[in-house]
Amino acid sequence: MMSTRALGLGSSLRKVALTPSLARNRLVVRNTVARRSIQTESLPPSSAVEILNKQRLNRPSSPHFTIYQPQLTWLGSIANRATGGALSALLYGFSIAYLVAPGTFDSTHVVEFVAGMPDAIKYAGKAILAAPFAFHSLNGLRHLAWDMNKFMTVKGAYATGYAVLAGTAVSTVALMLM
Amino acid sequence: MSTTILRTTLARRLPAAAHKVRHAASSAYVPGGPIYKGTVNDPTTFPPPSRSHGSYHWAFERLLSAGLVPLTAAAFVTSGTNYPILDGILGVSLVMHSHIGFDSMIVDYLHPRKFPLIGPIMTWTLRTATVGVLVGVYQFNTNDIGLTELIARVWTA
Repeated sequence: MMSTRALGLGSSLRKVALTPSLARNRLVVRNTVARRSIQTESLPPSSAVEILNKQRLNRPSSPHFTIYQPQLTWLGSIANRATGGALSALLYGFSIAYLVAPGTFDSTHVVEFVAGMPDAIKYAGKAILAAPFAFHSLNGLRHLAWDMNKFMTVKGAYATGYAVLAGTAVSTVALMLM
Repeated sequence: MSTTILRTTLARRLPAAAHKVRHAASSAYVPGGPIYKGTVNDPTTFPPPSRSHGSYHWAFERLLSAGLVPLTAAAFVTSGTNYPILDGILGVSLVMHSHIGFDSMIVDYLHPRKFPLIGPIMTWTLRTATVGVLVGVYQFNTNDIGLTELIARVWTA
C-alpha cells in the first residue's frame, strides 16, 4: 500500500477494481465494433499495380527549375545553349535559303542588302551577332576546361564565369569596331 | 445502434472505393505522366554498353569543339577564297557542331519517353535539315565566295 501511494497509482487501481473489465477496455470495444462492420474484398495479385497507379495519380509534381534562384552557374549554362542555338539557327537558315533560292541569297545580294542599311542598324546587327559568338566561344572554352577537370570548384566556376562575361564584353566591342 | 450505422455506411462506401481502383487502372497511360508501364518489380532497362555511343562519341564531340578554336582563328586571319579546303572543313565542322547542339536540345526537351510522336518527328526533321544545310554549304562554298569570305564582306559592308 505504501508503494502504490508513493507511485501515485492509488486512484487508477481503485477504478480498475470498481468498473467491469469489458467496458473498461477501450481496445476490446473498438475491435469488437470494427470486426463486425469491416467488409473485405478479395483482390487478385495483379490489382497491386492498379492500386499503385491510383496512388501515383495523387503524387505531387517535382518542383520546376523556376523555384531556383538565378545564379551565374546555371545562367551561363543555359545562355551557352541559347547563343549556340541562335547562331546555328542563322547558319541553318542561311544555308537552306541559299539551297532553295541561290539567286536571292547569293553573296552579292546579301552584301548589297546589308550595305544599304543605315549605320545604326549595322552596329546593332553587329552587336547582336558578335555578343552571342563571343560568349559561346569563350564559354565553350570554359566548358572544355571543365571537361579536362579544371576549375571544378564553386570558386573556379564563378571566377571563370566572370572572366567569360568580361571577355564577352571586350570581344563584342572589338568585333563591332572591326 | 451505432454498429448498425457504421455497417451501412461502410457497405455503401466500399464498392465506391473498389470502383475507384478499377477506374484508375483504366485511366490512360500518358507519356511522362505518373503512371508507368509494367509493374513495380520490373527492372529498369539499360541500353547495351557501347563505346561508340558513349566515350568515343563524347570524345568526338569535345575534339570537334576544340577543333573549332584553331579553325575559327585561322578563318579570321586568312581569306576563305584562297583556302577553300580550310573554308570547307570549317563549314562542315560548324554544321556537325550545330547538329549535335540541336540534337541535344531535342533529347533534353522533346524526349520520345515524354513526346513519343513529336520527338522522333523533330529528330528526323533535324536530320533532314542538316543534310540540306550540308548541301547548301557545299553549293555556297563551290559556286559562291564561301562562308568565311561572306561573313568578312557582310561585316565590312
